Amino acid sequence: MSLFTRKVEHVPCTVEVSHRFEALHAHVRFNDGSTINPGDEVLVQGPPVLAAWGELVIEDRTAVITRATALERLWTRLTGDFEVMELCEFSFSEEITL
Amino acid sequence: MNMHATTHDELHAEMADRFDTNAMAQESTLLNPRFYTTDFDELDRIDVTPVRAEWDILIAQMKSDPNKGHFKKNADWDDVDWDGMEPKLKREFIDFLVSSCTAEFSGCVLYKEMKRRGNNPDICELFNYMARDEARHAGFINDALREAGVAVNLGFLTKAKKYTYFRPKFIYYATYLSEKIGYARYITIYRHLEQHPEQRFHPIFKWFKEWCNDEFRHGEAFALLMRTDPKLTTSFANKLWIRFFLTAVFATMYVRDHARPEFHKALGVEIDWYDQEVFRKTGEIAKQVFPMELDIDHPAWMPTLKKIERAFRKMEAGEKQGGVGGKLAKWSAMASAGMGFARLYLLPVKKSTPPASVRLEPTY
Repeated sequence: MSLFTRKVEHVPCTVEVSHRFEALHAHVRFNDGSTINPGDEVLVQGPPVLAAWGELVIEDRTAVITRATALERLWTRLTGDFEVMELCEFSFSEEITL
Repeated sequence: MNMHATTHDELHAEMADRFDTNAMAQESTLLNPRFYTTDFDELDRIDVTPVRAEWDILIAQMKSDPNKGHFKKNADWDDVDWDGMEPKLKREFIDFLVSSCTAEFSGCVLYKEMKRRGNNPDICELFNYMARDEARHAGFINDALREAGVAVNLGFLTKAKKYTYFRPKFIYYATYLSEKIGYARYITIYRHLEQHPEQRFHPIFKWFKEWCNDEFRHGEAFALLMRTDPKLTTSFANKLWIRFFLTAVFATMYVRDHARPEFHKALGVEIDWYDQEVFRKTGEIAKQVFPMELDIDHPAWMPTLKKIERAFRKMEAGEKQGGVGGKLAKWSAMASAGMGFARLYLLPVKKSTPPASVRLEPTY
């Protein structure tokens, strides 16, 4: 990991999107076991994965992982916690007036 | 769990489009959950041995999947007259469905990631079941949205996503409270509608009882996780964090509920009463693991919440007004909200000693 330059990796991945009554979910799995660290950015290449109603789509794609620099990673670890309230659910969006 | 602010903006732009055009035109709402990392090594080091007996019972319950058959539409799912629904109510109710769907969806992403990255079989099994429940809830809400002519778009995967970081203990405090407050919110509405069925303006509320038992169980899991490391709830610094999370979650809920008057009016729920009721239940439940309870009957509690709520309205008004005057108004309101929050945080708490056995059953 470099202190100042970002490394870019192309990684094969499997995308799974379920747009069904029994489950609504979407996940990306890196086939080579790559892991994501704080501050990294992930972009799945290709057109949007669109699952129509009732469909489960599983596709092989390529993901571009832009690795955070050591400084960015440190920064993300130090400041990420400030946003932790995002994990709480309040039934409504944050807009005061819709 | 909530979406990122920009996502809300996008989403509401799309929702605004939808409501400005002819009703029932299919509009698409982009779901855009946030992506998190945490200290996965720390999760791997969790040893559930001290709570093994209770842990195994809870995991067996989750494995038996008591709600497997619950989230199905049956004869109880009445027709909804979306066209006849009062537009303001409809707007707030759609906001409720979209926010809830996104929350379940984001929970699923987070839990799945924890399952996938972990090497600790106990933890992986737990997060696997929780991800299953969240995806199921999201699918159920999504179906209600489809009936309203709102389609969710899962195309976010092909957009760049930056991963942020939360410390495990913050995930425990925040998600524990979120799950328990979710239980308290749903069961309070459900019990109210049992007494006043005429106010049930949508069938989804009929599903809340079994639904919130999932939330309750998820909360139980986080309670057990916290019990595996006593420091998490007993050290001086962590007690301050717990107090912070309780205050922040309660205050945020109060502000957001008051911003949705039509929703609560339609249910026949007086918001101050409802919120106090939810705080009371959540506080009582949280004593299972937190060594304190906020004093929500303190004479300064309600007036301070009201002050914070007014400050948030002024912040938004300042934002809309724009210019130097608007900025000044916004900053002044932010300071006022901050002071209000500090006041709430510093109110004396009611100390308590968590029981030897952590497990609870949903009894409300």
